[in-house]
Amino acid sequence: MSQTTSISMAEIYRFLAQSMRYPSPDWMQADYFSVLDTFIAELGWDTETQALGQSLFESDDWLEPLQVEHTRLFVNAIPTVIAPPYGSVYLSADGMLYGPSAEKTKQFYREQGFDLAGEADIPDHISFELDFLALLAEEGKSDEEERFLSLHFRPWFPKFQARILQEGRHPFYGVLVNLIDFFTREEM
Amino acid sequence: MALNLTRRKFLQTASLAAATAAMSGCFARQANASTPFVKKPFTAPGSFADTKTVVGGVCEMCFWRCQLVGKVRDGKLVKLEGNPKSIDNGASICARGNGGVKLLYDPDRLKFPMKNVGKRGAPQWKRISWDEALDECATKLKAVVDKHGPHGIAMFPHGSSATYPMGFFENVVGTPNISEASFFQCRGIRDMAYVATLDTAPDENVDMANAKVIFLLGGHFGENVHVSHVKRYLKGLENGAKLVVVDPRFSASAAKAHTWVKIKPGTDTAFLLAIMNHLVKTGKYNKAYVEANGEGFDKFSKGISLATLDWAAKICDVPAKQIKEVAELLAANAPNVSIHPGRHVSWNGNDFQRERSLACLTGLLGAIGVKGGFVAGKGPKVGKAGGWPKINEEHAEAHALHKMAKKYQFSPPGTPTDMIRDAAVSGKPYAIKGFVAWGQNPIQTVPGEDLTIKMLQQMDFVMVCDIMPTDITMYADILLPESSYLERYDMIKPGTQWDLSGKQEQYIAARMPLVSMTAADHERKDPVWITNELAKRMGLGQHIPVKTQEEKTEKMLAGANLSIEQLVKEDGIHVQPGVDPYGKVLKVKFFSQELAEAGFPAVPTYLPVPEPPKGFARLVYGRAPVHTFNRSQNNVWLVNEMPENPVWLNDESAKKMGLKDGDRIELVNQDGVKSQTSSVLKVTPGIRKDTIYMAHGYGTKNPAMTVGVGKGIDDQSLITKLAVDPETGAHGMRNNFVKFVKNGKVLSIPA
Ligand code: SF4
Repeated sequence: MSQTTSISMAEIYRFLAQSMRYPSPDWMQADYFSVLDTFIAELGWDTETQALGQSLFESDDWLEPLQVEHTRLFVNAIPTVIAPPYGSVYLSADGMLYGPSAEKTKQFYREQGFDLAGEADIPDHISFELDFLALLAEEGKSDEEERFLSLHFRPWFPKFQARILQEGRHPFYGVLVNLIDFFTREEM
Repeated sequence: MALNLTRRKFLQTASLAAATAAMSGCFARQANASTPFVKKPFTAPGSFADTKTVVGGVCEMCFWRCQLVGKVRDGKLVKLEGNPKSIDNGASICARGNGGVKLLYDPDRLKFPMKNVGKRGAPQWKRISWDEALDECATKLKAVVDKHGPHGIAMFPHGSSATYPMGFFENVVGTPNISEASFFQCRGIRDMAYVATLDTAPDENVDMANAKVIFLLGGHFGENVHVSHVKRYLKGLENGAKLVVVDPRFSASAAKAHTWVKIKPGTDTAFLLAIMNHLVKTGKYNKAYVEANGEGFDKFSKGISLATLDWAAKICDVPAKQIKEVAELLAANAPNVSIHPGRHVSWNGNDFQRERSLACLTGLLGAIGVKGGFVAGKGPKVGKAGGWPKINEEHAEAHALHKMAKKYQFSPPGTPTDMIRDAAVSGKPYAIKGFVAWGQNPIQTVPGEDLTIKMLQQMDFVMVCDIMPTDITMYADILLPESSYLERYDMIKPGTQWDLSGKQEQYIAARMPLVSMTAADHERKDPVWITNELAKRMGLGQHIPVKTQEEKTEKMLAGANLSIEQLVKEDGIHVQPGVDPYGKVLKVKFFSQELAEAGFPAVPTYLPVPEPPKGFARLVYGRAPVHTFNRSQNNVWLVNEMPENPVWLNDESAKKMGLKDGDRIELVNQDGVKSQTSSVLKVTPGIRKDTIYMAHGYGTKNPAMTVGVGKGIDDQSLITKLAVDPETGAHGMRNNFVKFVKNGKVLSIPA
């Protein structure tokens, strides 16, 4: 990857990390949607553009349904938390947070000279992993980027993605995980 | 664009220029844009890879409060162990205690304040900020108080995190409508009956380690595990104590018993009366103790004189010979006998009289203040802090439902659950329109789910504070997430060495955090902070007694000349010389003037309980060693340990019914209520034909408990008929009867 593309990847990772955070008017503004729009248009995801457009732009009351969906998918919900956004939930036998894979992820951060700010931060939260990828991309460490993806991200992300694609009730997160998939999947 | 577009090509496309320009606008505010990472030069593993031992944990997987240490590796709690310095539980903890780690890292734990934008019972959650959540709680609760008075609020608390907010609602807001499950659905009856008889609540203060006889009524240690309690019990057995177990079921304790009394459930008081009458008639009671300390003994002996061995034998379905045997065994070993007061005693609606009988039997044997008898360890003094000023006590007193109705004069603190619920549903004598659940899940703790839901549905506002998404959370308008017992400062646990006859020592432990709360992916708060914020917003901030949990702990420790710093230096537990606990004499009210005046039987009296209708058997329940009722329901380790609660059925009955061990069955009760889930059948000669048994705390209906949901049968849902103990107003939960259902077919149980 050339220097310039690495910088762009950093921005994209950061954009994706942000997208998985709780929907709030703080950041979910015209600029955000224009980036999202450009991405999916560029990818030729026409059906998705349409579905997103209907639920987001043709209604004044678009934020609350998105917040409800985020809470249901990732925080707490009835009938069930669909997809806890933490790697070890998918990688450890007991489906718990902070499993052995999470500790290894943290170790990887450390080796690259980074640590999590919060003492009790769960290391393998999807946004953390994407933010970390942004940092690697920013520093031009493309080998490490690829190593992190293959060792710590790709082993669980498809399972997480599948749950959202199957159980999601709002097109936004389906589009988002497909976007994340596009930018993180292994390239031949 | 082509479908097989690659990432590399994508990044080179020209139209992305527009996106790059807009990109900076995606992270509008700096606060949200900051990365969760900090730069830190890499140091070779060693320093942080080591597992550290953190002291100051106090377990809360059950109420016993064993002292813990946490093994923490790089900020992650890897394991919990008993604190080796403990003179109580020592280095041991039980399976549930171990499982605390899984509670901490349960992905289903509540993380953020949430608002229900759906319906009560069928919620749709939206994460909101603490400010929004607290403002709404305060406004709505205050509106209830303004319109209906402080008594318009009902609070259902449980556990140590609820102590501080309960003080606020009771003393400052001024509502009498507080229902603690630990009192009204568990041990309140026991406490009040012992207070009426011996003038002290008994806890589990029997010196089993040094007893010659241990007498258990329904106690099933081994299945019911509290570490130092079981240590006392086992030490007693090791030393040769004879064990008498009175239970319709061949429990883990019955398996170790010298005498197993296979009693008909609900008739225990008759059994106890016959023992006492036999001791009195044959002069084998402790005359010296009774003469010196007994009150109303003559009226008592006259009052129980009809309770002959044969009378009880018939009622209890136990041979008269066995009753006599037990009586003689107790007499021969008195006063060094442990008559265990029990713990969960809200059984049949005649429970106060049974508990009073146990207290009287203890007195009759003079088994008080002596080795093996009823003895409380003498714990150390600690300071008090965090108590709210009682500014509204009179109002609460004047509006207490049971006092207004002149009923349940022996009610434990708070108000009997049924009275609160009935008042809320009927609006009489006054409206109850605000509801607060704090750590309690009344959907499962309180029998009569339909009525509870009716009560909740008519509220103007429902607030729930908890750790896990239990059933009650589905009814919350606002749901608040609490820190767990492993992450906060909290209560002080004082006590003595576990074996009362050992070297006399006292200890003071404080619950201190084993792991940090600082994390970006949740906003849990501790109960002191939440309550104080609520108080401020309700305009009651001037009464706040402590600013933080830590301050509360410091103040309490200061009362013992300790500090948090000092306690940490002493490995989390301060140990000091103790006091000999033996020799304390208690007066025994064999006849109670107080009870007589309130119109209740003044000497222990047996009141028959309803019989199972034809084809049904009585449903009883108990504890499982790996569970603390529904608190541990979603715990992966514990659920794997015992995923379901097998339903016990007598082998001869099973044969007649065509059922086999391991069959999948459901249950239906006398009111036609069917269990919503199924479980597995356990066929055994170790249970009476008229009794069905299962462990409590299974079959949660809340699908947010992803591990526990639908596993086993929820006994509570089958408890639709409520008995209410007349003296205390507490619930009796064992007057419900069931039949089996297999493959949709209802099967009667032969008599
Ligand atoms: S008995 Fe078990 S669950 Fe109860 S406090 Fe002790 S370790 Fe914890």
